Amino acid sequence: MAAVGRLTGDQVSRPANHPRRRTGLLLALPAIVIFALLFVAPLFTLVANSFRTQTGAFTIGNYARFLGDPFYREVLWNTLKVAALTTVGCLLIGYPFALYMRGRSPRVRNWLALLLLSPLLISMVIRAYGWLVVLGPNGPVAGVLAWFGITPPQLLYNDTAVLIGMVHVMLAYMVLPLMGSLDRIDPTLVPAAKGLGASGWTCFWRITLPLSAPGMLAGAMIVFSLTASSFVTPAILGGPKVKLMPYFVYTQATTTLDWPYAAAIGFVLVVVTTGLLLGYSRLLRRGRGEVVFG
Amino acid sequence: MTRLTRALGTVFAVLVGLFLIAPVAVTVASSLTTTSYVTFPPQGITLRWYAEVFGKPEFLSSFVLSAGVALAAAAISAVVGLAGGLAIHRYRFPGRGALEAVLSSAFAVPTIVLGIGLLQWFAQMGLASSPLTLLLAHLVLTVPYAVRLVLAGLAGLDRSAEKAAAGLGAPPFLVFWHVTLPAVRGALVGGAFFAFITSFDDLTVALFVVTTDLQTLPVRIFNYMQYDYDPTVTAIGTLMVLFAVVAVVVIERFVGVARLFGADTDHK
Repeated sequence: MAAVGRLTGDQVSRPANHPRRRTGLLLALPAIVIFALLFVAPLFTLVANSFRTQTGAFTIGNYARFLGDPFYREVLWNTLKVAALTTVGCLLIGYPFALYMRGRSPRVRNWLALLLLSPLLISMVIRAYGWLVVLGPNGPVAGVLAWFGITPPQLLYNDTAVLIGMVHVMLAYMVLPLMGSLDRIDPTLVPAAKGLGASGWTCFWRITLPLSAPGMLAGAMIVFSLTASSFVTPAILGGPKVKLMPYFVYTQATTTLDWPYAAAIGFVLVVVTTGLLLGYSRLLRRGRGEVVFG
Repeated sequence: MTRLTRALGTVFAVLVGLFLIAPVAVTVASSLTTTSYVTFPPQGITLRWYAEVFGKPEFLSSFVLSAGVALAAAAISAVVGLAGGLAIHRYRFPGRGALEAVLSSAFAVPTIVLGIGLLQWFAQMGLASSPLTLLLAHLVLTVPYAVRLVLAGLAGLDRSAEKAAAGLGAPPFLVFWHVTLPAVRGALVGGAFFAFITSFDDLTVALFVVTTDLQTLPVRIFNYMQYDYDPTVTAIGTLMVLFAVVAVVVIERFVGVARLFGADTDHK
């Protein structure tokens, strides 16, 4: 039946092939124009500018400067460090949370997913501002510590503040792919292992954890690269003292006005983050799972 | 033992829940404080800071700019997303593969890199900052989501329904209107609302595209925060959260928030 349908479909569409191609192109045209002019062209401009001096001559000096300057090497290192720590933080909180979610009814799970995603749906300025209040000198954390007679340490404008703010936003990107992996585990495996005498821990270490590795890996990749490239949350919670690459892309572009250098830092950032994500999504597509990032 | 682990699990989940809602809850609560600085728990209750927001014309003009651009971004994303989604799902045309690749890599390119790229590209083209350039920049952020949702909607549509309608003599336009469009209606509404909040909340790209006399609401707040620590920002924040809640309710109703982020929460 389906084969017959496909056959007649081909017979109908073959003589009319050209108009169909034209319709498709026409429908896609707005999207093509938008992305050619506002995505592809700006990125090409950026790459081209990163190989120029301020006066326009060709140079590789911007990259040499970035990689040769110990200060900027530290910025790169710090960016990778904060991204890695955020990833670990998301994994430590996200894995038990995913396990907790797995045991709930579909309704509760949906609510929990919404709760996880809620930070992503709130304006990032407001979200970061909220953390300024929570961690600030008049906030609840300082209040609770003072109540116990502890002088609150400086909670803001350091790596820890950035880490807290980033784990908060990124948690959903870790838990959702993880849930996908956990859901794919054959539900009879654990009872079978238990029937054969395995303890709860053994089941976890030998079955659940290894089989959820693809989800962990997907979540980790997404969290890492999105964290390495985020600007607003680290800028507000960390301030200028926390030296991260996106912050320098911004200041070089708007304060120092060294556009070629800003472009070069931006492009290094793309190589670090996008390269990772695209490489991974290609791997995934070759495998089976769906690509989960946004 | 199992009861203990269960209890521990619940405690853990509650703590994570508190962590997730902490910044918003604290912002909303401290917008009511009578003190002239932000504090939690708030002291006393007043709506003074809300009056303060409406007494600041620069916040109102920023709101109008942000809302206008966001509405346009929502409408255009829905239309472009529908057309693009249909084209990719149904037709073979030159550039189809490239379009798909570009749309999916748009999710992966850091927003800050897009912002600086657009800044340099607009300058090179001689385009001065205007609400239009802001809108164009935001379309790059919103259209990929619209296309993704439309494609998901079309994937769920049984094509035999369209064939049946056509076979019964319905002209192509009526087939589209009565069969195809209803299948992607949820995707369109959800996509439009998501485009609205994405554009309305965007700070990263806007920082590169705006100027001092053209500030969106997030940019205005960001700049205000650098100098003032009074509770006005918490009042604006609360209003923006209310906005987002409305959008989320609509998105959840029509497509499900999780699907927007590419996750599949439907369980077999």
